[in-house]
Amino acid sequence: MSAIAMALDAIREKKSRSFLTMLGIIIGVTAVLVLVAMVTGYNSDLTSYYEKLGVNKVKISITYYNDTRIVDLTDALYQYGNKDLGDVVTGVSPSTTSSVTLKYQDDNLDTTVYLGSDQFSTCNNYTLEQGRDISQVDISQRSNVCLLGSYTTEYLFGYANPIGKTVSINGVPFTVVGTYYQKDGTTEDSMDDMVVVPYSSCRALLGTDILDSYVFKVDTSKNMSAVITKVKAFLAENLSEMVGEYTVENGNSDMAKSNEETASLSAVLGGVAAIALLVGGIGIMNIMLVTVTERTREIGIKKAIGAPRREIIIQFLVESGVLSGMGGLIGVALGYLLSLILGKALYDLIILPEVWMSAAAFAFSIAIGVGFGLYPAVKASALQPVEALRAE
Amino acid sequence: MSLIEVKDLYKIYSEGEENEVRALNGVSLSIDYGEFVAIIGASGSGKSTMMNILGCLDVPTRGEYLLDGVSIRERTDRELSQLRSRRISFIFQGYNLIPSLNVWQNVALPLTYQGISLGERRVRAMEALKKVDIVTKAESRPAQLSGGQQQRVAIARAMATGSPILMADEPTGALDSRTGAQVLELLRECNNQGATVILITHDNSIAARADRIIRVMDGKIVSDDTASHVKLAKAAGEMIQ
Repeated sequence: MSAIAMALDAIREKKSRSFLTMLGIIIGVTAVLVLVAMVTGYNSDLTSYYEKLGVNKVKISITYYNDTRIVDLTDALYQYGNKDLGDVVTGVSPSTTSSVTLKYQDDNLDTTVYLGSDQFSTCNNYTLEQGRDISQVDISQRSNVCLLGSYTTEYLFGYANPIGKTVSINGVPFTVVGTYYQKDGTTEDSMDDMVVVPYSSCRALLGTDILDSYVFKVDTSKNMSAVITKVKAFLAENLSEMVGEYTVENGNSDMAKSNEETASLSAVLGGVAAIALLVGGIGIMNIMLVTVTERTREIGIKKAIGAPRREIIIQFLVESGVLSGMGGLIGVALGYLLSLILGKALYDLIILPEVWMSAAAFAFSIAIGVGFGLYPAVKASALQPVEALRAE
Repeated sequence: MSLIEVKDLYKIYSEGEENEVRALNGVSLSIDYGEFVAIIGASGSGKSTMMNILGCLDVPTRGEYLLDGVSIRERTDRELSQLRSRRISFIFQGYNLIPSLNVWQNVALPLTYQGISLGERRVRAMEALKKVDIVTKAESRPAQLSGGQQQRVAIARAMATGSPILMADEPTGALDSRTGAQVLELLRECNNQGATVILITHDNSIAARADRIIRVMDGKIVSDDTASHVKLAKAAGEMIQ
């Protein structure tokens, strides 16, 4: 009879106890896999959020000290981005927003208005679904035209064609010339809950000329820092210190920061789960100690009929190894199942634990079982046969 | 060279303390190959302690024990295991079968430690079970057998190893007189086939079945006699010569 068959017999004989022993390992392994998978899901969720927002954006924000001394930099920045930096900059647009009430017939919707240039959709990752984008003519003629996000379109028009219809934004009539595809789930407060108008209608709409933030869309991330440097130099030259101050930010740094945060989150949660696994290992040690005490008589008999010490140690090692190995396998299986279920429920993604992670958790659980099983086995095998036989 | 040579053997528990117990208090004896020896004494006389040490299940506090001419102190743990596996077999009062294994697996277990293959183990276990006439119970668990049957399984286990030394500690203690007699008959048979048998008992009538009776009291040997029937047989042999 092989050692593994004997170990399986011993485990089968004490089913509920064996299960309770394994439970620690199962919970530990499952926790490790699921927590790390969920962090992965959270991370890819965040990443896709940032990708929807649009990557490679240089964000400019200007604070004017005094309303009366405003120098409007919109045209200058637009020209600078498209001409001087035209090789690497693919679009320039103001990014000032405001909360407005959008009205079509009897339907009212509180939404966000974007004051954009003709390059607004390029800068912010919107794709035209129907009609046309804002044109340079719209801007120069201060046309009261607008484009709607998919949520706004659906909310106000349902299945009707919105093109050419007139909506009112804060009471000012605007003609709908285009709509955008859904990019963020077409829900309230999503990136699809919006309307965009030519920035030149700022005064008509909001009663002010203040455009104080801009976006430069850069072709690739490696050109970001060069553009930032140049934009800063441009602003230093064109914005007098008397008039205002500016900040220029790398839009990708938000994503980088959140990646760092999820990495540390992943480390912390992984650590917590590793502790759970360790506790599971201590559970195995406990059960092996009890088992050894209970079976001291058996050990005595085996020693009396000639079992070498090595044999006794191997017997208990195999038993704890099989026990923790089974626990590890069940834990991995549960980890996959739960990751799938939770990933679907929380992030609407198919998330599976990584194979190396599962292998590592499985190997770790066996190592823990064997490691903690070793101590009682060594202890038991060192007994004089007669001492072991005396045990009841 | 004797099989077993013991000089000034002591086994002392809690030595030097108030509750010091001298289980063996200076024992010397020698046992030859092929003898059938009974060690008799009241409970607490030290007879079981003596068997445990002779059987390498325990170590003496002081004194010399030579088995096959080699001191037990010079043996490594591994060599002691081999001695218990190949040279000495035990029959206990409480049978000491492993409850989770069935009868033939119990009998075959010591053969595992001799490195014998599974098929061969089974064959030899069945042969031994046939000798003690319990082969029909080969697949039963020990708990399903009567005391006498369990003891026969234990004897089969001892016989299957082919060990030249058989140590029996009150083997009939838990049995009725009829099954007890059967067990003693089996031991005699083993002895006839060349095994050295050492029988531990408190019962004079059982000790009388041996060829030599060593009487132990308070950890010391008080008498060491060759049985009268052996003396008679010897004398008769001399007369014939």
